[in-house]
Amino acid sequence: MNGCPTSEQWVAYAAGELAPRLRRLCAAHLEVCPACRREVESLARGLAALETLPREPALRPEAIARLRGRLRAASAERPARPRVVRLLVRYGWAAAAALLIAAAIFWPSKPIEQPPVAVGNHHAEAIEEIAAAISLLELADNDTGSERLDRAPAGGSADELDLLLELDDAGLLLDYLSSQDRLRG
Amino acid sequence: MSHRAEDTDAPEERLVALAPRVYGFLVRLVGNRDTAEELAQETLVRALRGLATYQPEGKFRAWVFRIATNVARDWLRRRPREPALGLVVDPETPMPATVGREPAPDARLGRSETAAKVEAALVRLSEPDREVLLMRYYGELEFKEIARVTGEPLGTVLARAHRALKKLADLVPEEQG
Repeated sequence: MNGCPTSEQWVAYAAGELAPRLRRLCAAHLEVCPACRREVESLARGLAALETLPREPALRPEAIARLRGRLRAASAERPARPRVVRLLVRYGWAAAAALLIAAAIFWPSKPIEQPPVAVGNHHAEAIEEIAAAISLLELADNDTGSERLDRAPAGGSADELDLLLELDDAGLLLDYLSSQDRLRG
Repeated sequence: MSHRAEDTDAPEERLVALAPRVYGFLVRLVGNRDTAEELAQETLVRALRGLATYQPEGKFRAWVFRIATNVARDWLRRRPREPALGLVVDPETPMPATVGREPAPDARLGRSETAAKVEAALVRLSEPDREVLLMRYYGELEFKEIARVTGEPLGTVLARAHRALKKLADLVPEEQG
C-alpha cells in the first residue's frame, strides 16, 4: 500500500465494511503508522458514542395500537390479486417462454410406464401454478392492459425473471410462490 | 435464497416490529417526538401500501428506511422555520426506554450522560450528515446500502460519516473507544 489510506477508507475499516484483502492491507498499515492508528481510534470512539443511544426507543402503547389499526385499514385497501399473478401479468411473455422451456425439459416421455417422482411432481406443481397464473394473465390482458404498463416499475423485469428462473433451477420455485402467497395472507 | 425473519411474518407484523427503529431514526432526524411518531406511522403505512411494487433486492429494512428518509425530508422541507429543530436536549429528561436492552444499573448513569451529549451533538450536525449516521445506527445499514438509499455516491456517504463520527468522537473518553 502506497501512502496512507483515505479517511473514507478508514471509516469503512472502522465500521468493518472493507473487503478482506483491503482490510488486511489497512491492518498492516496501522502497525507502522501512528497517525492512522489515532484516526481509526477516533472513528471507533465516534461509533461507540452512537452506541450510547437506545437503538429501539419504546413507542407509546397507544401509538402502537394506532399503528396496527392504520396498517389493518391499509391492508384492507390493498388489491386482492396475489403477487405471483401481478409478476406474471407484468412479465407475462417471459413467463410463458420459461413455461415452454420448463415443459420441454420436464415433460415425461413415458408418463404411463414411469412412476411419479417427487422432484418431477415438484416441478409439475410449479408449472401448473404458473399455467393457472398465465390464464389469469390472459384475462387481465383483455381487461387492464394500459393499467399494467402504467404500474410496471422501471428496471426490474430482468431481475424478477432471473429470480423466478433461479428458484426454478434450484427446485425452490414452489416454496417461493407459497411463501409469497402466505405473505399476502 | 436466504430467508430472514423479516420475510416470513405477516407484512403488518414485520412493519410493527420495525416501528421502534424507524421511530428512533425519525426522532433524531426531525427532533420532535410527536412529529417522529406521526412520521413513523406514515412511513409504515406507506411501506405496506408499497409492498405491491416492492422489489425483493437488498434488505427489506433498507427499503423501509428509504421511505422513512423520504417522509422525513418532505417534513423537513415543509416544517415551519422556527427554532424547533426541537430536540433541544434536556439532560433532566430521561432517555426513552430501550426495548430489551437495559444497561446494567452501574453503567446507566454514565451512559445516559454521554447519550445526552451525543443527542446534542447530533442536533448540531448537518441534516445529510446526521441522516447517514442515523441510518447506519438505527437501520443497521452498511454504507453502500445507505448510498443506494440516499442516491449519493459511496464516497460522499463515507465522507459524511467521517465528518460526523469525528464530531462525536470527542464525547467519548479515549479508553472507551
